[in-house]
Amino acid sequence: MKYKFIDDLTSDVMFEAYGKTLEELFSNAADAMFSVICQKGKVQAKDIKEVAVEAESEGKLLIGWLQELIGMVDVDEMFFSRFDVLSIRKVADHGKRTLWTLKARVFGEPISPEKGGTVVKAVTNYGFKLEKTPKGFKARVSLDI
Amino acid sequence: MKEKLRQVGDFVWELPKGSRERMEVSARIIGSNAIIDQVEDDAVQQLTNVATLPGVVGPVCGLSDMHWGYGLPMGAVGAFDAEEGIISAGLCGFDINCGINSIRTNLSAEEIESNKKELIQTLFNKVPVGVGSKGKLVLTDEQLDDVMRRGINWAIENGYGTKEDAARMEEHGCMEGADPSKVSDLAKKRGRSQLGTLGAGNHFLEVQKVSDIYDKGFADRLGIKDTNQVMIMIHCGSRGLGHQIATDYLKIQEQAVKKYGIWLPDPQLACAPVGSSEGKDFFSAMKCAVNYSFTNRLVMTQWIREAFEQVFKKSWEDMDINTVYGLCHNVIKLEEHTVNGEKRKLYVHRKGATRAFPDDPAIIAGTMGTSSYILKGTEKSMGMTFGSTCHGAGRRMSRHAAIKKFWGGKVKEELANMGIEAQSPHPKSLAEEAPGAYKNVDDVIESVHGAGISLKAVRMVPVGVIKG
Repeated sequence: MKYKFIDDLTSDVMFEAYGKTLEELFSNAADAMFSVICQKGKVQAKDIKEVAVEAESEGKLLIGWLQELIGMVDVDEMFFSRFDVLSIRKVADHGKRTLWTLKARVFGEPISPEKGGTVVKAVTNYGFKLEKTPKGFKARVSLDI
Repeated sequence: MKEKLRQVGDFVWELPKGSRERMEVSARIIGSNAIIDQVEDDAVQQLTNVATLPGVVGPVCGLSDMHWGYGLPMGAVGAFDAEEGIISAGLCGFDINCGINSIRTNLSAEEIESNKKELIQTLFNKVPVGVGSKGKLVLTDEQLDDVMRRGINWAIENGYGTKEDAARMEEHGCMEGADPSKVSDLAKKRGRSQLGTLGAGNHFLEVQKVSDIYDKGFADRLGIKDTNQVMIMIHCGSRGLGHQIATDYLKIQEQAVKKYGIWLPDPQLACAPVGSSEGKDFFSAMKCAVNYSFTNRLVMTQWIREAFEQVFKKSWEDMDINTVYGLCHNVIKLEEHTVNGEKRKLYVHRKGATRAFPDDPAIIAGTMGTSSYILKGTEKSMGMTFGSTCHGAGRRMSRHAAIKKFWGGKVKEELANMGIEAQSPHPKSLAEEAPGAYKNVDDVIESVHGAGISLKAVRMVPVGVIKG
C-alpha cells in the first residue's frame, strides 16, 4: 500500500504514507496529497519540473517538500501525477548544522478545472509523524483544506 | 474536559479558570444543549490551551459553530493585551480573511425562475471556480503591491465595484498598515494570477432568496424589502497568497516561541510577542492578505453584476445589485474593548468567527441546501464574546467520510428536487460539501440569538449554488 486516508479530522484531511525507502515514502506522500488536489488519474505526466528542498530534519524535509509542491500548483499552474524523488541526503552545513536535502523530478500537465479536486491550503504539524518501521518508513500527514 | 463545562445562562457555558493547569482565564462556549453535545472534547481542550498563553484576556470564546481546528477551534475568539500579549499566525487560520459578502438585488425569485439555469451557467462562466481555474487578471508586481496596500481602493479605481460597496465592508475593504515588504516572494508569485477567483473547498457563490425577515427596520436599512427578494452570497478568501503568508509566519513564529521562551501547551499555537519583529511583521503581512481578499470578493462582485446584466438585459444599477455587507471570518484586529470596566486595547483573533458590533450586520453562511442569515450585532456581544458571533454551520463529518457517504451526482439531483440549481467543475466537490456533512445551521443561529450576542434579522435560502 502506498498510502491511506484516515477519518480523524472533521474539517481537514489526514493520511498515512508508506515506503521501503525515504525516497519512496516522499513520493507516495506526494501521491496522496495530489489525489486530494486533483484527479490524479486524469493528469498526464507530460511536463517536467525539477525540485530541490532542504530542511533541518527528515520530518521538516517531508513537510517542506509537500509545501513546495502546493506552491508550484499556483506558481507554475500545473497539476502533478508522478513524483520521482531522486535523492534524500543528510549533509553537514560547514561542518556545524545538519541539513537534509531532497532532489526530485515531478511530472504533470497544465491545470484545468475539470481535472481539479480541492484546494490544499497547507501541510500542518497536527499529528505529524515520520518513523522507521520494520518494512521501511511510515509518515502521518495532515492537510488544511 | 467537556464534563467540566458549567451552564451559566441560556445558551452560555463556562469552563472556569483552573479547569487545567496554567489556565490564566476562563473559557466560554455559546450553544444549546444539542450543540454542546456535538462539540468535540478536543475542541474544548483547545480553548483551554489558548487560555494559558501570555497576555490572554478572558474569556477565550467558543461559538455555536465551534469545531476542532488547527491550534484554536474554528468558531472561536482569543483576545490578547496589546502590550503584554502575543499575536499568533496559528490562531488566525491558514485562509486569512476567508470571509463573506452579501449582495442584494431588486429582483424577485419569480422573476429569475425561468432564467435560473442560464443565470447559474453564466455566473459559472464569468467567475473562475475550482482548483485549476485560471484567473482572468494577472497583476504586475506593482499592481499586486497596490492591492495588498490599498485593498479595494485599487479595485474601485480599476472599475471593480464602487465607493458605496466600500462603505458597506468591514474596514471599508482596506486595513491600514499593510506592508508588502513583509510578504515573501513565493506568496506574491502565488497571488499574482488568482485575484478574482473563488477557489474550492467550502468556498461558494450562491444565488438566494429572502425567506424570512425577523427585523423589518434593520432589513430596510440594508435595502432588503421583502421575502422572495433575490440575494447573492460570496464566500472565499485570500487564496494562495494568504495560505503562503500563514505558512511562512507559522514557521517564523515557531522559532519565535523558542527565542522568547514562550511556554506552549500545543506547538500548533505558534505565536510571538506583539511588540517583537516576528509579531509586528506578521500583523503587517496578514493585513496584505486581508486586503487582497477584500479585493478578491469585490472583483467577483463586478463579474456577478455583468452576469446578471447579460441574462436579464438590464443594467446592474437598474437591478440594484449592491453590497449589503462584507466581513472577515478569519482575522486579527487591534480593537478597544471594555474588560472589567476598564478600556483596553486588544489583539482580537477571530478564527471562523464574525465581527458583530452593535447594530452592524453579521453574515452567516449555511450549506448548499440550507439557509444563510444576516444577524444584527448587539451590545451584549461586546461584553460576552469581544463583539463576535458564529460564522457558519460547522462541519460534523470529514471530507473523506462525506465522499464515501455521498455521491456528487445524487447530491446535485437532490438539490434540484429542492429547487436548487447546483454547478461545480466536477461532482466530487458537491459530495464533499453535501449539506449532510454539516451541523444544522438553524441550531447554530438559535444559540447565538438565544444568548443575545447577535439577533436574527433576515434568513435566506439558496436557489442556485456554484461550488469550487
